Amino acid sequence: MADGPLIVQSDKTLLLEVDHEQADACRKAIAPFAELERAPEHVHTYRVTPLALWNARAAGHDAEQVIDALITHSRYPVPHALLVDIAETMARYGRLRLEKHPVHGLVLTSTDRAVLEEVLRSKKIQPLLGERLDGADGGSVAVHPSERGNIKQLLLKLGWPAEDLAGYVDGEHHPITLAEDGWELRSYQREAAEAFWHGGSGVVVLPCGAGKTIVGAAAMAHAKATTLILVTNTVSAHQWKQELIKRTSLTEDEIGEYTGTKKEIRPVTIATYQVMTTRRQGAYRHLELFDARDWGLVIYDEVHLLPAPIFRMTADLQARRRVGLTATLVREDGREGDVFSLIGPKRYDAPWKDMENQGWIAPADCVEVRVTLTDDERLAYAMADAEERYRFCATTPSKTRVTEALVNRHPDEQVLVIGQYIDQLDELGEHLGAPVIKGDTKVKERERLFQAFRDREIRVLVVSKVANFSIDLPEASVAVQVSGTFGSRQEEAQRLGRVLRPKSGGGGARFYSVVSRDTVDQEFAAHRQRFLAEQGYAYQIIDADDVLAGD
Amino acid sequence: MVGMSTEFTKWLRGRSDEQLRELVALRPELITPVPAHVEGLAGRASSPSAVGRVLDRLDRFTFAVVETLAVLPSPVSYRPLRARLARALAGPADSVFEARFRETVDRLRTLALVYGPDRALAPAPGVREVLDGPAGLGPPAREAFRHYHRERLAELVEDLGGSGDTAEALGTLLADPEVVARLVGEVSPQARSALDELAWGPASGRVANARREVRAATALSPIEQLLARALLCATGEESVVLPREVGLFLRGDRVHRNLRPVPPPLEGAERKRDLTDRTAAGQAFAFTRAVEELCERWSAEPPGVLRGGGLAVRDLKRAAALLDLPDWAAGLVIEVAHAAGLVAASGAVDGDWMPTPVYDGWRVRATEERWVTLASTWLATDRVPGVIGDRDERDRLLNALHPDLRRAAAPEVRAAVLGVLAAAGDAATAPLAPTLDSVRERLAWEQPRRRGPHRDRLVEFTLREAEQIGVTGLGALARHGRALLPAQAGGDAPRRAETGPGAVAGTGTGAGAAAGLLAPLLPVPLDHVLLQADLTAVAPGPLTGELGRWLALAADVESTGGATVYRFGEHSIRRALDAGQGADEMLAMLERHSTTPVPQPLSYLVTDVARRHGRMRVGTASSYIRCDDPSALDEVMADRRAAPLRLRRLAPTVIASKTARATLVDSLRAMGYAPVAESLEGDVIITRLDVRRTEGPPQLRAPVTAVGPDAEVITAAVRAVRAGDAAHRARRKPAAAPDGQVPRSPATATIGALREAIRQGSQVWIGYLDSQGNATSRILEPARMEGGYLTAYDETRAAVHRFALHRITGVADIQP
Repeated sequence: MADGPLIVQSDKTLLLEVDHEQADACRKAIAPFAELERAPEHVHTYRVTPLALWNARAAGHDAEQVIDALITHSRYPVPHALLVDIAETMARYGRLRLEKHPVHGLVLTSTDRAVLEEVLRSKKIQPLLGERLDGADGGSVAVHPSERGNIKQLLLKLGWPAEDLAGYVDGEHHPITLAEDGWELRSYQREAAEAFWHGGSGVVVLPCGAGKTIVGAAAMAHAKATTLILVTNTVSAHQWKQELIKRTSLTEDEIGEYTGTKKEIRPVTIATYQVMTTRRQGAYRHLELFDARDWGLVIYDEVHLLPAPIFRMTADLQARRRVGLTATLVREDGREGDVFSLIGPKRYDAPWKDMENQGWIAPADCVEVRVTLTDDERLAYAMADAEERYRFCATTPSKTRVTEALVNRHPDEQVLVIGQYIDQLDELGEHLGAPVIKGDTKVKERERLFQAFRDREIRVLVVSKVANFSIDLPEASVAVQVSGTFGSRQEEAQRLGRVLRPKSGGGGARFYSVVSRDTVDQEFAAHRQRFLAEQGYAYQIIDADDVLAGD
Repeated sequence: MVGMSTEFTKWLRGRSDEQLRELVALRPELITPVPAHVEGLAGRASSPSAVGRVLDRLDRFTFAVVETLAVLPSPVSYRPLRARLARALAGPADSVFEARFRETVDRLRTLALVYGPDRALAPAPGVREVLDGPAGLGPPAREAFRHYHRERLAELVEDLGGSGDTAEALGTLLADPEVVARLVGEVSPQARSALDELAWGPASGRVANARREVRAATALSPIEQLLARALLCATGEESVVLPREVGLFLRGDRVHRNLRPVPPPLEGAERKRDLTDRTAAGQAFAFTRAVEELCERWSAEPPGVLRGGGLAVRDLKRAAALLDLPDWAAGLVIEVAHAAGLVAASGAVDGDWMPTPVYDGWRVRATEERWVTLASTWLATDRVPGVIGDRDERDRLLNALHPDLRRAAAPEVRAAVLGVLAAAGDAATAPLAPTLDSVRERLAWEQPRRRGPHRDRLVEFTLREAEQIGVTGLGALARHGRALLPAQAGGDAPRRAETGPGAVAGTGTGAGAAAGLLAPLLPVPLDHVLLQADLTAVAPGPLTGELGRWLALAADVESTGGATVYRFGEHSIRRALDAGQGADEMLAMLERHSTTPVPQPLSYLVTDVARRHGRMRVGTASSYIRCDDPSALDEVMADRRAAPLRLRRLAPTVIASKTARATLVDSLRAMGYAPVAESLEGDVIITRLDVRRTEGPPQLRAPVTAVGPDAEVITAAVRAVRAGDAAHRARRKPAAAPDGQVPRSPATATIGALREAIRQGSQVWIGYLDSQGNATSRILEPARMEGGYLTAYDETRAAVHRFALHRITGVADIQP
């Protein structure tokens, strides 16, 4: 009996025992065709999906390699049905190809007549196609160049993802080089940029904090062309700009911001998803940005958050090189297929464990502090209206004392206190003697406080939930969350990633969440706990009494 | 005909005892019951049903020899027959063909399908009648044209250049190849191509107005040209047939084409022995587990039995979702569990499908033994899970577990298919995974008479089900799967066909071997899990019984397969606490079985749930007494007469009782109080899911399998036939009953003496009480003894009879 680290489950998940001596080799072997779903401490869960298999195929792996990897590393026999399924799924990719024809422009070709016939009979695809080349039995059909994205999307839905070999336009030339003074490209960043460049278009998957911006910069240095960068929000846009000025030969004049407030179009333009998707009188007002210049490269930051209208716009940009940057391919809306067909297949996936070992990223320590409500509070909670219940338990006065004790635990570190309810935050601010930043705080005041926080003039800052999305929140090594529901997994990851960075002295940051015991608050905490543990963060639960006792 | 039959009997009588034994061993239906004499044997051997049965078991080549003999006028001698078949071959007539042909002729003789010496071979009587249209040829002209009226026949004969007005005359003309060649030469190319269409069968076709009477000279259309020359014969208003003579001519004097003396080679991928076995074992494990999972679920939530029998589609889908299998595979799991008697309907009307007590016995056995039970059940069952979801001829949906899911041919097809797999590739090192088409082609060669779309589907079902159950791995037969097959199945395929389905039933000796082969391939049960901070426990393999049951209690299963992922949650921890587990006990259990430290959030969860667990108490009471005056209740509690009421003081003003409300009220009244009953409100009703079972074990239908007779029985039967025949031929008068005292001997001595007589083939004198109770004496030639009966030739009655052993009063030797 083989003794591999991998166990294949009947629901097409793969369990990888990370402490196994062959775990590393196995991870390398399965990473191309399986998506990491959960990464708690001992057993990681990967999922084999058709998209993951097609990604592998696009990266040049064949079914034999995949099956071999499974059989070699699997501890138990792999069900034959699964192997057959894998081989069949993978064989579907690339049966159809989009190619450039000297006379007819873009053509859809296939060596497999049956597949081509099946596809041509589809009612949705027919309108996208032109005439059949080489007579009625020919193996290729002309495609309207403007439908390059749509046809790829539709073909994927039919289960016959097309390989796009039609090439790209070079775009307007613009000199960009990396300015590696005092820093250098990390090895995986270089590999990621090169993998993208050779693949043409596609997605680079790197964990939070691994320096995705720099991969973008490196990609631009490859393209040496005008670049459009799409980011999630204004904060990101600022960060991108600062990074690009710092890391590349680009100057401030060459980089434009296209946001709610500024509308600059420069050789390198950074636009937010929000502004691109703003509609006035039913029309997208800012679509012309895509045609404003002859872009040679389009960068999509946080591809897993890409809104649907941008997908539609992207469908028309298929002749330009595109790179997507993300920490995960999993989308809450299940539109992974659109990322695959419109941005491109996965081109690079970082060995997460290696990066952690090399100290590039450091997961935070998460501590859940359970506060016991007093008897009076419990009675009041039991009698509260259903919609008021969460607010009640989340803002219980007991939390204030615990938060104070937690802040005092870290006298030498910068601490952020995050909450949802303004009353509670004000009260906390008063208690801790710390300034409060909330939705109605003036921008100037905000910036002053942030700067003071960064300069360590202020040690503790109380911020509302609104604040941590809308402004350039400074980094902290300790965060205390006193209230706030568990949103989506994405949102939670964003918040954590933004707030928590490894301490400069090495070691992880610390994230406290203060939770009222036996209430709905605890239910949200359970979601958070599961999510964080699955992300590989260390997690523990302590009682508020222990904190108050100074333990 | 009569002459032929006599000849055949004579030939059969001339066969040696050894040859007759071989015959009845291969055709056991000939001796059930034992015929009285050789004439009887010959009659039975040439009956349509017996001939049909033996023809069914012939392979393509052997069958072709029989067909050729049936087509040619009898008798034929060896060499011309061989020449005919040589012409029909796809390849050259090499030494393989020579040897195979020799062997085939001999075997057909052994089977009594062909008789006579090499110089004059003839098909046994009955063979021609059973073969309707041998090799796809039409009937001979003399039969085909028999129903034409004389005038029309006269016209045809005249047009053919002969004279006469009978079908025989026409037949004689057409029997001459030169005549046919001339006629075929006369017709137009279109007519010729119409003939070619029919040449290789089917020999009949449809045309409008087939009975039109046209003459050769006036025929216009191609069909008319053919009808006028008797090249086509009308068999109905719109149907025509190609007379056999014409067909043979068109075939170029061949009866068959593309004939192969040996089975077509199997095509498919070669597998590695180890990998095949390991994959199959993995599947075997998964299948066994699926059956268990299904039964466990049905223990708690049994699905209902449909009015027409069977399982609702909804319940099948639910089972498929539970087992994470496609519908057909879930149907297979359900059907096999049912066929093995693990689940059954709890009642004829409004019943539920639920596990039987047999399941409880099955569950505790080792995995390999459980699998053997399932796999051999599948091999032998006549139910076909593959047709679930089809519609029957009345367009009714066939549900899983529906009574109509039976197909008599199923076990035999399974045996045949697995037999093919057993012969595929090098079994020891590189077994072959033949393709579906290749298996079908092979079976078509092995059993040409048993083809058809229905059988083809069964073949397909067998292959996919064998893979699902783990009899095969990666499409090739696993060693533990092979062990389940009867010994013959692994041998040379052509011979196997004759032993028929009888071989399948045996699960005795093969079962042990299969379990032995399978056991080392199955994952070893583990006694540890990996605990993680996301509150999951991963069991990287099957767990030992105790740990598995404990985890199933304390955690919910999240995914299964090679490993099992369990998730702990408030709900599951509470369930364990409800089952009487303590927090410390649970933590100790986790500690003991985890290879890594117990994650803090998990131990916190356990203690946290335990902290709150049981703070409130809930109990059952059938009734209660409440009274604002505690002293009155003190009084009741103190009363001795209240003891049988099983009272319990819950609070100063409340007493709970286990007695029914009415009884309690009555009793209190009897004790001198004046209680009143309260309304139902406040009653606590607690329902609990029960694990349910059918009452008593299921009524299992033994799979219908004909077991071939053993050598002893065969020998005895042949001896009986011979003895009967000797008597029959000598037309012996019944011997006079011996005079003197009716023999008496102790029962054991009687049995011994009879057995000795059977062994020596000698005659004995017995005393016998007939059905009226009269003591008679007989002279017997005993043939066989079984089941309390003696079969023997009775000299005194000149016939073979069966005698009840307990009525034989004694035995004595016959004094010469």
